[in-house]
Amino acid sequence: MIIKFKLNGKEIVKDVPVHKRALDFLRDDLGVLSIKEGCGEGECGACTILVDGKNIHSCLMLAVELDGKEVLTVEGLKDKTIQNAFVEAGAIQCGFCTPGFIISTKALLNENKNPSSEEIKEALEGNLCRCTGYLKIEEAVKLAVKMYNKGSDKK
Amino acid sequence: MIKNYFRPKTIDELSELKLKTKGYLFSGGTDLFVKLRAGTIDTDTVIDTKYLNSRKIEITGNKLFIPINATYSELRMFIKQNNVNNMLENIVKTIGSPMIRNRGTPVGNISNASPAGDFVLASYLFNAQVIIEPTSRKLPVKNFIKGPGKIDLRENEFVYGIELEILNDYKFYFEKVGRRNAMIISIASLGLLLKEKDNKIKDIRIAFGSVAPYILRDENLEKSLIGETINEELFKHIAIEYQKLSSPITDVRATKEYRKSLVHNLVIKAYNNLFEKVVKE
Repeated sequence: MIIKFKLNGKEIVKDVPVHKRALDFLRDDLGVLSIKEGCGEGECGACTILVDGKNIHSCLMLAVELDGKEVLTVEGLKDKTIQNAFVEAGAIQCGFCTPGFIISTKALLNENKNPSSEEIKEALEGNLCRCTGYLKIEEAVKLAVKMYNKGSDKK
Repeated sequence: MIKNYFRPKTIDELSELKLKTKGYLFSGGTDLFVKLRAGTIDTDTVIDTKYLNSRKIEITGNKLFIPINATYSELRMFIKQNNVNNMLENIVKTIGSPMIRNRGTPVGNISNASPAGDFVLASYLFNAQVIIEPTSRKLPVKNFIKGPGKIDLRENEFVYGIELEILNDYKFYFEKVGRRNAMIISIASLGLLLKEKDNKIKDIRIAFGSVAPYILRDENLEKSLIGETINEELFKHIAIEYQKLSSPITDVRATKEYRKSLVHNLVIKAYNNLFEKVVKE
């Protein structure tokens, strides 16, 4: 089936088999390597992508469902604030889960410019990290908020 | 393996496809794709309902209508913005994770008819009516769900939406017991709605999830409580009665004995949280 969608700002038209998952299509066919298969059943969040502004699991989505959508992965993030905050806060160890966390953080900050600890935890509850223990990830989100606020002060 | 993928746009088209292909309907796929992967469902045909031209989430009279394809996230936004059945937010936010709530739907949860379905519990509490097309049948959720995974649906029919009562001035308590906060299937859950007048019960609705093959709600017992004075004694009575009515199983999540204790203790905890000044954890 031929689908047409936007990936990181670029228009894509492709013929995809109907059984193919969005995860496999994006990673294997289009080379989006930030998204990974962890559990394959919507538990771990390593395959998280942003579809029309909402974070979803690409492992629980068919490629054909991308038709007409706007998809964002970390490869397409022009503003590196969230990534920088994760690095600065030491919220990364092995890095396997990190793109998923960054996309979920992006989804949160799109809707909520000043989230509480509680809201951060809820927004990231679908992403698992086996290295950092989550505290530094929470700090990273708070740091990103701080960086954004500083940025808007200057303007 | 999926070989056929359909996107029906009208009720009739969807109904005919379902009848003809015996394919599986999906909206968010948060349940179907997990089962396909695990091999508990095997089909070569899936029907994507998201292209169906359907009604939106809306308030009609004293009912809240939730259509097919409306996600948990959309429902949560709607109840917040319209200040209607706010209690539902406590249930919805415990379902899955943000990614699941961005795709999963209440209609899907009800169609799966799991006794652990959190929105199934919500629909029992709010006396939901299930709206079925293309036959335009409408029936109470407790009649629609026949048992674990069993629903009253003919081969050409599908659930078009659900209608919940809009309730005001109710005290509400919901708790889901599980091993962590996100992504859990409940070991046991309790939802309780209570309207009081002069410290007496005017209306009460109590529903448990995961402690019987169906959502446990006993309307006769509820009726017998109307007019009773609200105190710890009364809630001890309620706790014991529901403990008797529950018939949990032992599974990978917990033993039946543990679930039985939870039925009792959740009722007492609900009382403490709603009526005692000092909340005991």
